[in-house]
Amino acid sequence: MVAPDLGRAVRPTPSDAGLRVEPGSFRDPANRVYHCGDDVLRALDETAAAHWRALAASTFFPPLISAGKVCGTEELSPAAAGRSLPADWAAVLRHERIPFVSHPYEWSHAMLRDAALLHLEILRAALPAGFTTKDGSAYNLQWRGSEPVFIDVGSFAPLRDGEPWAGYRQFCQTMLYPLLLGAHLGLDFQPWLRSRIDGIEADQMVRLFRGRRRLSPGVLTHVHLHGSVQRRNADRSTADVRAQLRDAGYTGEVALAAVRGMEKLVRRLDHQPSASHWVDYQRTCGYSGEDRAAKERFVAAALTSAPRHGLVLDLGANDGHYSRLAARHADYVVAVEQDPVVVDRLYRALRAEGERRVLPLVLDLADPSPGGGWRGVERASFAARASADTVLALALVHHLAIGRNVPLAEVVSCLTGLAAPGGQLVVEFVHPEDPMAARLLANKPDGIFPHYRRDTFEALLAAHGTISGRWELPAGTRTLYQVALGA
Amino acid sequence: MHHLAYLDAGSGSLIVQAVVGGIAGVAVAAKLYWRRLVSRFRRQPTDQS
Repeated sequence: MVAPDLGRAVRPTPSDAGLRVEPGSFRDPANRVYHCGDDVLRALDETAAAHWRALAASTFFPPLISAGKVCGTEELSPAAAGRSLPADWAAVLRHERIPFVSHPYEWSHAMLRDAALLHLEILRAALPAGFTTKDGSAYNLQWRGSEPVFIDVGSFAPLRDGEPWAGYRQFCQTMLYPLLLGAHLGLDFQPWLRSRIDGIEADQMVRLFRGRRRLSPGVLTHVHLHGSVQRRNADRSTADVRAQLRDAGYTGEVALAAVRGMEKLVRRLDHQPSASHWVDYQRTCGYSGEDRAAKERFVAAALTSAPRHGLVLDLGANDGHYSRLAARHADYVVAVEQDPVVVDRLYRALRAEGERRVLPLVLDLADPSPGGGWRGVERASFAARASADTVLALALVHHLAIGRNVPLAEVVSCLTGLAAPGGQLVVEFVHPEDPMAARLLANKPDGIFPHYRRDTFEALLAAHGTISGRWELPAGTRTLYQVALGA
Repeated sequence: MHHLAYLDAGSGSLIVQAVVGGIAGVAVAAKLYWRRLVSRFRRQPTDQS
C-alpha cells in the first residue's frame, strides 16, 4: 500500500471553503480526489496530466464517456483549477457526481458480476488503443441506479507492449474470487469483502476449492495456478518478471486474449440464489389490497409534499415497490435490503427496466457497513454517507424492535439520524396486535417489550420533529406517520 | 514505468496472465520457464569454477 501523503492532505488551499480530500483516493500518488461543494475534482501531477490529455485525445475514450460507461469528466481551465486547488497540481478534472457512493460489499452477486464485466470491457477497449488501467479494483466502479459506471479516470495510463495488466491480482481479489465463491460454492461474498479492503487472497481461495471443486470453471488457473506461481515467485521482483515476460514474447495480443478469456469466464459466473424467507415477503406479509392502496396513497402524498426531492432512502425495500414509487417523486432512491437474494432479484429487475434512479444495496440496518480501510475512513460508513431528504421505513420498525431486540428509542434515533437536517421520515408502526408483529413476539418471552406501544412510538417521533401526517391503514393494526424533522 | 508501479502487481500474477492468454500465452510462459531452466544449468558450472 502506498503511504498517504499527509502533507498534501493538510496543505492550505487558495479557497479553502468547503474543500475536502476524498479519504479513499490516496493510494495512487499521481492523483488525488477532492470534494469542493457539490463538485468532485481530481487533481493530477505532471505525468498524470500528460496521460489524461493523451486519453482525452484517444479514439476509444470519448465513446466510453458518451455511452455512460465512464463517469463524465472535463478538464478545468488553469484559472478555474487555480481557484479550486493548490497550485502544485498540474491539472484538475471535474467529474460527474455519483448520486450515492456504495461499496462492493453492499452489492449483490449480479451487481458485482456486471461491474466486473464493465471493468473488463473498458480494459479490452483500452488495450488496442495503447492504454491500460493501472489497477483492477472493484472500487473503480460505482452506480447510476442499476447501471455500473467506471469512475477511476486516473487509472488510465499508456501501455508498453509486452506489459501484462498490473491490475490483474486486484481484479482477482476484489471481483473474480468473490464471484467464484457465489457461483461455485453458493456463499455470500459480502462479509469477505467488507472485512478485507484488498479482497480475498489466492491462498485463502485455494483452501476452499479442494478436490473436485478445483475443476470448476476458472478455479484451476485463476486460483490454484495463481496461488502456486505467486508462492514460487515471491522472491522475484515484478520488474524482473516483466522483463522476462517481454523477452519471452508477451505481447498486446496475449494481454487481449487474457482479458477476453476473463470476460468469458465472468459471464459464466451467473448465480441465481434459491429463494429465501424474504423473497415472497411482499405477498406473505399480510396486507389486503385495500391496505396496500391506502399505504401507496399516503407515501405518494408524503413524497409530493416533501420540502426537498433529492435523495430517498427506502429502508427494508424488499421487492422495491415503494422505491419505484418514490422514484416518481425524487431524484434518486437507494433501496436498502438486508437479504442478498432479494437485492439480486431487485437489481436484475431494475436493470431489465433500465432504471437509473434506483440503487439497490445489501445492508442490514442492525449491522450497517462500518468505516473501512485506512484509519476507518478510506471507505465511508453507511451512516457517514446517508443524508436523505426522505427516509422511508415501511414495515421495518417491528423487525428491528422485536426481531432484533433494538430499543424503540434507538430505532427512532437511527431512522431520523439517516435523514439530512430538515428532511422527513415516513414510517409505519405495526401495532403489537398485528398478525406479523404477533408472529415475531411469539418467538420471544412474554412481556420483554413493554415499551413497544403506539403511544411510546408517537412520543419518540414527536421528540425528533413534528408529526405532520398520520394515517390508520384499514386493517386497524398499522399506522403510517409523516414526520418533519428538525433543521 | 514508475507511474504504473504504484500498485504491486505481484510477480506470480504477471506470469499467470501469460497462461490465461490463449495458446500464444501458454507458449510465452513455457518459454519463460525454459529460459529460467537453461540459465540455471548455464550458471552452475560458472559458479563451481
